[in-house]
Amino acid sequence: MFILGFHFPASMGNQVPDELVAEKIADVDISDVKEIKLLMGTKERDKEWLSYTNKDTFLFRAMVHYFKEENPDKAQKYMIYMNRYQMSAISKRVDAADDETMKLCHHLDNMEQFRIEVA
Amino acid sequence: MAGAASLRQIAFYGKGGIGKSTTSQNTLAAMSHYFDKNIMIVGCDPKADSTRLILHEKAQDTILSLAAELGTIEDVEMEQARLWGKGLFDKETPGGWINCTESGGPEPGVGCAGRGVITAINFLEEEGAYDEEGLDFVSYDVLGDVVCGGFAMPIREGKAQEIYIVMSGEMMAMYAANNISKGILKYANTGGVRLAGLVCNARMTDKEYDLALELAQRLGTQLIHFVPRNNIVQHAELRRMTVVEYSPFSDQAREYKELARKIVYNDMKIIPTPITMDELEELLLAFGLEDEVDESQVGKAAEA
Repeated sequence: MFILGFHFPASMGNQVPDELVAEKIADVDISDVKEIKLLMGTKERDKEWLSYTNKDTFLFRAMVHYFKEENPDKAQKYMIYMNRYQMSAISKRVDAADDETMKLCHHLDNMEQFRIEVA
Repeated sequence: MAGAASLRQIAFYGKGGIGKSTTSQNTLAAMSHYFDKNIMIVGCDPKADSTRLILHEKAQDTILSLAAELGTIEDVEMEQARLWGKGLFDKETPGGWINCTESGGPEPGVGCAGRGVITAINFLEEEGAYDEEGLDFVSYDVLGDVVCGGFAMPIREGKAQEIYIVMSGEMMAMYAANNISKGILKYANTGGVRLAGLVCNARMTDKEYDLALELAQRLGTQLIHFVPRNNIVQHAELRRMTVVEYSPFSDQAREYKELARKIVYNDMKIIPTPITMDELEELLLAFGLEDEVDESQVGKAAEA
């Protein structure tokens, strides 16, 4: 089973608890990141920048981890569709009370492409 | 069974037209190029389109067509039936390699296409294709549903051990995925075949990810990857290439690389739990893809 790219052994079944996914990103360093910037869309005229700043959420940590993984130059990075859908699904369970997160999840659930940068 | 103990035999099944051959070739290309895996493709579709992107050809000679041309299957030589991949996938190129075979089949409307699959696999076993040094994966790309027993042959005879079902969020693709699961269930105890995951080759329909994920969970398996639609796949196909070769740093190549990585490290192989047709319809209703049906309206045309 793969969630956010992490492998969970088959013995854990096909529905891995969110806490175990959160454990995988618990150690990611978010101290140097103030803002996550997402470029949504592919057609030039329809592209839109989204900003996300709530550092106290699963989504923020998950996105910083995604951005930093195998990205030593800290370059803008394409977001794998499945990873972002999974980030959104988990966030809607664990951070449902946070409006900023839910608003971003609404965007993440659509069919557009996303690219991620951090600042 | 022929082949090294470490040899993994996988198969891509799914509804006709869902994009099995495209998905399988792009994924296998990524497994070979990025993860150094050596692969033999056994195309099990009379269209013989399971290898064209690896070979940069329209279609290779099939085992059945060679047998017909030469007289009998005994007259066919391995080097005629099995071709080495071009470009990145050649045996002489650094990284993994891919070799290609196609079973072929009769002319449309004549004979049993499934027999071609049986003949091809027997031929390859007898000729030692499964014993090629360094071979890591054999991949079967199988036509359509498993309604025809011939096309169930790779799972019935215990050849393919792990099955990846290519599907989408459309009803008939999900119906076929469920049907294939029934076929796997039927042979799971005798042949050891297991369902290894669903691959959603997205049509970008509403709630497609959620629907595919829900079906996977109901079947007891995983949605191993959601492959988005991207025109670059068609651009690459026009040049008879996989995306991995055509544009290795493209977004879509990254998607196939991720799917390849998951297959390489996948250990989730289960006996599926197919659902009933009613449950499947309920699933579509729950995700808003079908309106609730008023039984009194069934069979009536739409009002002007």
